[in-house]
Amino acid sequence: MLIAVVLTAIAACRTGIAQKPPTAGTADAAVADDFEARVKRYLDFRQQRIGVPPKPTDNPAKILARQQEMGDKIRVARAGAKQGEIFAPAIAQYFRKQIAESFAGRYGNAIRASLAHAEPVKVELQINQSYPPNQPLQSTPPTLLLNLPELADGLEYRVLNRELVLRDAQGNVVIDYVPNALPESVK
Amino acid sequence: MLTRRTIAFAGLMFALVCLLYAESQVAVKLPLLSGSVRFAVIGDSGTGSTEQYEVARQLEAHRQVVKFDFVIMLGDNIYGGHSPDDFQRKFEVPYKPLLDAGVKFYASLGNHDDPNIERLYKPFNMNGERYYTFKRGDAQFYALDSTYMDARQLTWLEQNLRTSNARWKICYFHHPLYNDGKMHGPDLDLRNQLTPLLKSYGVNVVFSGHEHAYERLKPQGGIYYFIQGDSGKLEHHDFHRSESMQTSFDRDRTFMLVEIQGDDLHFQTVSRVGETVDSGVLSKPQETSGARAAGK
Repeated sequence: MLIAVVLTAIAACRTGIAQKPPTAGTADAAVADDFEARVKRYLDFRQQRIGVPPKPTDNPAKILARQQEMGDKIRVARAGAKQGEIFAPAIAQYFRKQIAESFAGRYGNAIRASLAHAEPVKVELQINQSYPPNQPLQSTPPTLLLNLPELADGLEYRVLNRELVLRDAQGNVVIDYVPNALPESVK
Repeated sequence: MLTRRTIAFAGLMFALVCLLYAESQVAVKLPLLSGSVRFAVIGDSGTGSTEQYEVARQLEAHRQVVKFDFVIMLGDNIYGGHSPDDFQRKFEVPYKPLLDAGVKFYASLGNHDDPNIERLYKPFNMNGERYYTFKRGDAQFYALDSTYMDARQLTWLEQNLRTSNARWKICYFHHPLYNDGKMHGPDLDLRNQLTPLLKSYGVNVVFSGHEHAYERLKPQGGIYYFIQGDSGKLEHHDFHRSESMQTSFDRDRTFMLVEIQGDDLHFQTVSRVGETVDSGVLSKPQETSGARAAGK
């Protein structure tokens, strides 16, 4: 999986689509490396303890049951997990900086407009909770995504209120979040 | 006592009457040329409402005449919960006649869809992916996930657009890049990131949903844009007119029929009660300025 991520990142860099990684040796690079290492630890744990997602089937009950099972295993294995285990303070600050740069950049107004046109979801965030199944998924503006570290398949960033959520998509579990990730002007 | 032969004959007669009835009820404006690619388009369909079922009945009546063999779905395929009952009420039951006839549905994901359930649901033909491509005849289709357009997806799209030699390149995804609706409007950030790729690699047509009404825009940068987000939901009086709007309809739910043959793409937009609300033919990019589209 790591190889796939690296290859995709290389391909993305070639096409100019992906973000530029922080310059090696800088404080930002160290923080980004720390984030990558924490995500890798989570993915390793996930692979060992949770197993693989189901194959396509005609039966939605089977898919739901497997998603529920994966989510439950994650919750049990991470019982007691707290906000900041992945987004440690320095990492959270790095993310806020990256997001602020996106908002201040040439597409800042477009990001604001996209968020304003989305269907707002009001959820009180808790680590290990499921994303509420009846709520729409807030779209994550592409320019924001392109300015954040890329994630492996199965993990995703979602904007909720002003928070940036790291979600295990296959188990539908909130792994961690960056509080007040988006500028205060974004409601 | 009825013999088997009598029952079979009665069944045949019933099927014939149904077919004749369907043909008498639908007014098809497509040329129905031999060897053409024919498909239907539905968006924001999965409500489970009476109106969704009525649209589905029209879809089936038109299928019997048009003989399209696949449907593209523009997202919000299943609103609300995603239990087996939801899949039945909002997809399997309303579209049962189409599914029974072997019609394939190719879904894209909307903000009300659960990507990790729907992409694994075989009847949506996503093969476990959030975004994917398939080819029919001269047309290559790209089903994208506009709720999460990350670097990986953009790279995948660029690579697949670049390597395709299809005569028609058609993208479909939930959030519209251009749209004159009051409810949502266009997704400007998505437009900024996606449009350069669509233009560079010769995408001809884009279908989107999200806005609960129908709109056809004037070509933007040589690309035709359709908004078709009203096969289940509807937002009445949703539009403000703009320079970019070609035509719109927000008084009832709709679906689209499309036929591609050579350099022409014929389309017909049909309402829940079978009224044709828009139709026409679009030509390939080099003839973009001379498109012969004519709304009803």
